Amino acid sequence: MTPTIKWCRRFGATNIMKPLVIGLGNDLMGDDAIGILAARSLKEEVSEWADVVESSLHGAALLDILIGYRRAIIIDAIHTGTCPPGTILDIDPDDLGTVVSPSPHFSGLPELKTIARELDLDFPKEVKIVAVEVAETFIVGAPMTPAVAEALGPLVERVKERWEAWQAETPAGST
Amino acid sequence: MSRHVTIDPITRLEGHGKIDILLNDAGGVDRAYFQVPELRGFERFAQGRPAEDMPQITPRICGVCPMAHHMASTKALDSLYHVDPPVSAKKIREMVYSTFFVEDHALHFFFLGGPDFVVGPTAPKGERNILGVLGKVGKEVGLEVIGVRKQLRELITLASGKVIHPVFGLPGGVSKVLTKDDQQKFIAGANHAVEFGKFCLKVFDDLVLKNKEYVDLITSDGYTHKTYYMGMVDKHNKVNFYDGDMRVVDPDGKEFVKFPGGKYLDHIAEHVEPWSFMKFSYLKDIGWKGFVEGPQSGIMAVAPLARLNAADGMATPVAQEAYQKFFATLGKKPVHFTLATHWARLIELVYAAERMQELASDPDIINPNVRTIPTAAPDEGVGVVEAPRGTLIHHYKTDPKGLITNANLIVATQNNAARIALSVDKAARTLIKNGKADDGILNMVEMAFRAYDPCNGCATHALPGKMPLIVRIYDADHQVVQEIRRD
Repeated sequence: MTPTIKWCRRFGATNIMKPLVIGLGNDLMGDDAIGILAARSLKEEVSEWADVVESSLHGAALLDILIGYRRAIIIDAIHTGTCPPGTILDIDPDDLGTVVSPSPHFSGLPELKTIARELDLDFPKEVKIVAVEVAETFIVGAPMTPAVAEALGPLVERVKERWEAWQAETPAGST
Repeated sequence: MSRHVTIDPITRLEGHGKIDILLNDAGGVDRAYFQVPELRGFERFAQGRPAEDMPQITPRICGVCPMAHHMASTKALDSLYHVDPPVSAKKIREMVYSTFFVEDHALHFFFLGGPDFVVGPTAPKGERNILGVLGKVGKEVGLEVIGVRKQLRELITLASGKVIHPVFGLPGGVSKVLTKDDQQKFIAGANHAVEFGKFCLKVFDDLVLKNKEYVDLITSDGYTHKTYYMGMVDKHNKVNFYDGDMRVVDPDGKEFVKFPGGKYLDHIAEHVEPWSFMKFSYLKDIGWKGFVEGPQSGIMAVAPLARLNAADGMATPVAQEAYQKFFATLGKKPVHFTLATHWARLIELVYAAERMQELASDPDIINPNVRTIPTAAPDEGVGVVEAPRGTLIHHYKTDPKGLITNANLIVATQNNAARIALSVDKAARTLIKNGKADDGILNMVEMAFRAYDPCNGCATHALPGKMPLIVRIYDADHQVVQEIRRD
């Protein structure tokens, strides 16, 4: 069995200073569109300071996007059932447990981070998750519930605030 | 007093399912149910849309196997418009589809089902994940797994635009002519994939087959069901993922029926249960006889184990050798051991890699004649492919302008749903005694579930995060009397 080092090089750029903003979701599935729509909105506003990506990928496939960046903000839908739909939640990836899942095709961020560390991949040193509590994600073509749709604007602002907070924490010239 | 045990992922996950276990007065299992969230609204969503949009829309419904939906949908359009694509287009489609199969099967083995075996079915739960796999097989192998998947995904992107939302299938062909440079990249990727596939078989051989405890588990009665099996075969009755007839064998391995995919309604029907949103596919010629196995029951299986059972062999040499070893090791054909699905999946991975290699070297791959323009009026079409997790059927009807009037999808997990229910029920009966439903036992129940690689929601992606499981035990009045939580 050969060769792994060649592949590592094929990842291309590493230590990218621009932050990565990933909007995750599925824009056909009701509230699950929220992350995608936020990314779409941010793309126009923040392209100078961030690389913005819309993605329906999940699990290990997200490594392909994340590798190479120093910082990443992930925007996603979440269903905790503990707060009203439309609630914006800041989630620290370190608070997320490892996945023990009966579902296929799932690796959570903690797994990705650990895999990257174990394999010496250039995973972002800092990751923030901004998520919106959702209500309905299983009706194809459904509109977003009003509370979730109304959260779009504040969500976009929250992502920008996260970035500004990062900037404030970081000594000038170091990013 | 009966009790009710629920294994329920409480966060939203693509493809998440729920297992309900009802205990009887003696603490044994009365019945175990496999439940799924309902994906609603597809048919209504599709109505009135141009049929040509379906190969782009359907992959977006499912983020897990977008290429399978794209391919089934594209083939349904061929049928709908009564057009036969040029041979070069068919070969390009099959090559790209084979590429997808390698990367998807690799994902399952190492990331999902693999931890059950590579790390071990009785290993602590904290080790039964991809990190446990890495610990067992080594860092270099981990890099190789991720690397080969990345390379293959790049090839899919090269040919089809996007992995997650492919745009290359058109009625009558494909949208892109491949260049010699593209071909060389596919040849290199295929060569890599074949070596990777051989390595995967060796991993299974070393870590699973040489471990008596694991083999005993695979062949144990708790994970065994004597059902019918269905899979797509080529004209020589060899496994094929992209095109061919559907072949069904009975629990003794004899051919029961063989039919073109377009005739699926003559042979496959759907049963509905009040406790599940899932429709359970069964063989119409036998009929629905309840959740029972054997030749008198219409329950069938699809996916890797079923495909190997339903075929007479593999069309490529290394996969064929592995196929023969599979049946020689596990006894007579058909193999009824659900957990052998993991091994069958690796044999299919090798076949997909070898098939990719064959097609990448074929001169037709760079033939610029990649499309036959449809001229007939559209009316009705069926497209069938083998998705990694089983037979996938797209069926569309349109008006003369090509606008969808009716759309029906039968996804792989639906075809497997009745057998999955059997598996979960039997595993629960075997492993839960005297009302004891501890964490380790639930892991074993889930192993039955995972072997099928079920994809239930065909819906949303997942927030990268934790997925706690909660086991709730209810009394007959549905009051929670016990909760086991797994964070």
